Amino acid sequence: MAINLDLDDIQGLVARGYSGLRHARFTLFGAGGPAAGPALLSWLLPRITPAGRFSSDAAVQVAFTAAGLRGLGLPEQAAAGFSLEFLGGMATPNRSRFLGDAGDSAPDSWAWGAPGGPAIDGLVLLYARSADLLNELHAELMRRLAEVGAREITVLDTLERLDREPFGFRDGISQPVVEGLPKAAGGQRTVAAGEFVLGYPNGYGQLTDRPLLPRSGDPGRLLPPDPGGSGAADLGRNGTYLVLRQLEQDVEGFWRYVGEATQRPDGSADPAARAALAAKLVGRWQSGAPLVKAPDRDDPSLATVNDFGYYHTDPLGMACPLGAHIRRMNPRDSLDPQPGTSASLDVNGLHRLIRRGRGYGPGAADGPRQATGIHFICLAANLSRQFEFVQHTWLNNPTFNGLYDDTDPLTGSRHGGGGTFTAPARPVRRRYRDLPQFVRTRGGAYFFLPGISALRYLAQLPGPVPSGPRTG
Amino acid sequence: MPYQVGVTIRAEVGADQVPPLRKWLAAVAQQGLAEPPFDFAHLRGVHFARFYLLEETADLAGQPIPASLVFMSDVDAPLRRHLTELVDVAGDGIDQAFGHCAGYPGPGGRRRARIAWLRRHQLPASAFYVNTVGRGLDQIRQEARLRDALENYLDQRDWAGRAAAGLRRELQAFVAGRADLSWAMKPPAPPPLPFRAREAVHKVAVPLALLLVSPALLAVLPFWIVALRIAELQDRTEIERPTQQQMDELEAYEDFGPQNPYAVVGFLKPGRLRLLTTRAVQMATSYGTRHLFTHDSLAGVKTIHFARWVPLDGWRRMTFTSNYDGAVEAYNDDFITEIWWGLNAVFGGAVGYPPTRWLIWGGAKLEQPFKYTLRDHQVPVPAWYTAYPALTAANIENNARIRAGLRGGMSPAQAEQWLSLL
Repeated sequence: MAINLDLDDIQGLVARGYSGLRHARFTLFGAGGPAAGPALLSWLLPRITPAGRFSSDAAVQVAFTAAGLRGLGLPEQAAAGFSLEFLGGMATPNRSRFLGDAGDSAPDSWAWGAPGGPAIDGLVLLYARSADLLNELHAELMRRLAEVGAREITVLDTLERLDREPFGFRDGISQPVVEGLPKAAGGQRTVAAGEFVLGYPNGYGQLTDRPLLPRSGDPGRLLPPDPGGSGAADLGRNGTYLVLRQLEQDVEGFWRYVGEATQRPDGSADPAARAALAAKLVGRWQSGAPLVKAPDRDDPSLATVNDFGYYHTDPLGMACPLGAHIRRMNPRDSLDPQPGTSASLDVNGLHRLIRRGRGYGPGAADGPRQATGIHFICLAANLSRQFEFVQHTWLNNPTFNGLYDDTDPLTGSRHGGGGTFTAPARPVRRRYRDLPQFVRTRGGAYFFLPGISALRYLAQLPGPVPSGPRTG
Repeated sequence: MPYQVGVTIRAEVGADQVPPLRKWLAAVAQQGLAEPPFDFAHLRGVHFARFYLLEETADLAGQPIPASLVFMSDVDAPLRRHLTELVDVAGDGIDQAFGHCAGYPGPGGRRRARIAWLRRHQLPASAFYVNTVGRGLDQIRQEARLRDALENYLDQRDWAGRAAAGLRRELQAFVAGRADLSWAMKPPAPPPLPFRAREAVHKVAVPLALLLVSPALLAVLPFWIVALRIAELQDRTEIERPTQQQMDELEAYEDFGPQNPYAVVGFLKPGRLRLLTTRAVQMATSYGTRHLFTHDSLAGVKTIHFARWVPLDGWRRMTFTSNYDGAVEAYNDDFITEIWWGLNAVFGGAVGYPPTRWLIWGGAKLEQPFKYTLRDHQVPVPAWYTAYPALTAANIENNARIRAGLRGGMSPAQAEQWLSLL
């Protein structure tokens, strides 16, 4: 199906991760008062980078929480069209249990986004080619926030090193190829545009629910019409949901565990075995080479290979374990129905994420020990079927794909058990027990990344309806 | 090995008893059903059990339907033993539960009176699905212990370099030599002969009977299908997204482990055509679950331990319940991608189901209306018991295969395949 994405109305983050702009900073803000939101938006609007051709030295994107949208005066009728997960927020007890945010990942210990903490209304993502330019843009944003009476809640700095996550593995290799974006021209298997951009057919060939409002609610005709033909104005079209989670990584703990688990009988270190076990946990070598293609040793020439399946070459996980991180994050053709067929790939395609996260902290190798991790960002049009499903049913599920007690070895929660890692081998598997938890959630929130027309519409709203409910 | 039965007991709850019953269910949700006063862990053969409340409502004609309390269990036969133990072992809990219902004789009532009361309040299921017919609770538990023992044995050494066939022989010797595991060298006994004979006769008799009446059926079929299509075209379906409050209430009892209880209830569309269609589909479903989907999979879905359809209030309503693995979202996606046709046939006659076409098309294929309507008709299950909370249906099947592979000869390649189950 040929899809014409309105790239000039979609924020650029959907189309690209701005890898050319190595400096990025994410600012969470609270509007502070009713006037702040519209004033801030009016200032941001001309600066927002769309998804069309891009060659600038900087990029600016903005997203809002449900509270932020209500604070702008979004009519309740339109607000009710957003997904319930978005409206309820990430930090409710039911969501936390579902997402595995328990123990020291529980929201009450978060650095930001905790219930009862300062209410987050929005998120500004700044990207720049140089540190100076980023600082300049950031200073301007801070001035503007102060002028309109808004306040920064947290500023999330990121690492310049984009191709490696803090554990030391090449990251960001596997991204869905989205129908209608320029990269889809390569003839690879694509994922329906509506999986990532609202207002277009999704993986089921249908339009995902999104905020609509009667035409009379948009007298200026700023919003596109509902492509479903209802005659409503479509506030969701060209927008998507953005998940932001601060995931702290225990880099030292990870390598200590892997080192101890691979010691020789005399207690000495075995660097080759150490690298091999780490690769088994991840499913790729540190270079990025996938285990199904490079089962025995790292092969940097395969670093960015992403064109492979699992079922036909490695059904039992002898090369890439069934529970390895990448085989859970994107099981490809591993799962029912009919593993190894396009039916399996079709179902896999219903649970994809565009990942746009960036690392933070000093990294493991250099400097004193300081918190490091990833500001995980993903984009998806259906939070429940995409982000939450992957987090719960694939990553944190101890019984994923026939396993018994294995959550994701790298990112998984161990609060409900799940500390086993099974590495299939001949003649029989090797089982690792009591894996510590290496990743801890330090903050998180659900945002909506509106289309640019929708931003224009939001900027001219009159402010919060006096009697309207406002929830954190 | 025993075959499995689904027990459904339903009793009316007086209006004044509904608030205390809700409170009681919330308290039971905290403590579970495994311990006294229910002590389901000490009843024989109970795989799953639950209590849930069907709130007071009115049927499509406006006739009131009072609130009721439903108890369900998935148990190993014989049924008589289970009903007796409900009173003898779980009696204090059963008294508390059904004490909210009109006419319940306990706790002062005599034992036989209470058993008779439970028996009288049983409802038949129109279809009952068992993941693997004949696999009893004891077998599931034993085979889980067998796997644990083998896994722990394997953990003691590094087996690199060993031939698969030799390692298998060693594991066979280990199992045979352990008094508490040596049972595993024999296959599980099949269900009792009378049960098997009955099922075999039923399996043949139903198609034979259909064959006999097939001329009449074939004559009626075109009229029926056209009439059904006309009725479908006249359906006016309004589907609303569930509210946050509904979702909060449902989710509060979900996803504490790999398994979940599921319950939906809904009205059947009015008219004899819809009723006849639904009854015919239920008969077909029952035949399918009794004879076709008896091992490991319900038409491709491998995450359901037990499921049942129970007509209520003289076929005005129907409740569907299951014990399944994973989250609702995954469960619903399985429905949409794998057994949409079955869902449409079975639920297309229910009020509020997304519009179907020609019985099996449409319906579940409409992702969001389908997911919304299932949530809208879902009933929270606050009080729930599972005998093996950590095991998915896939785990249980894998454990059974591990045991089966201890017997007989195997080629080296087969031995390697068998070892990959561990």
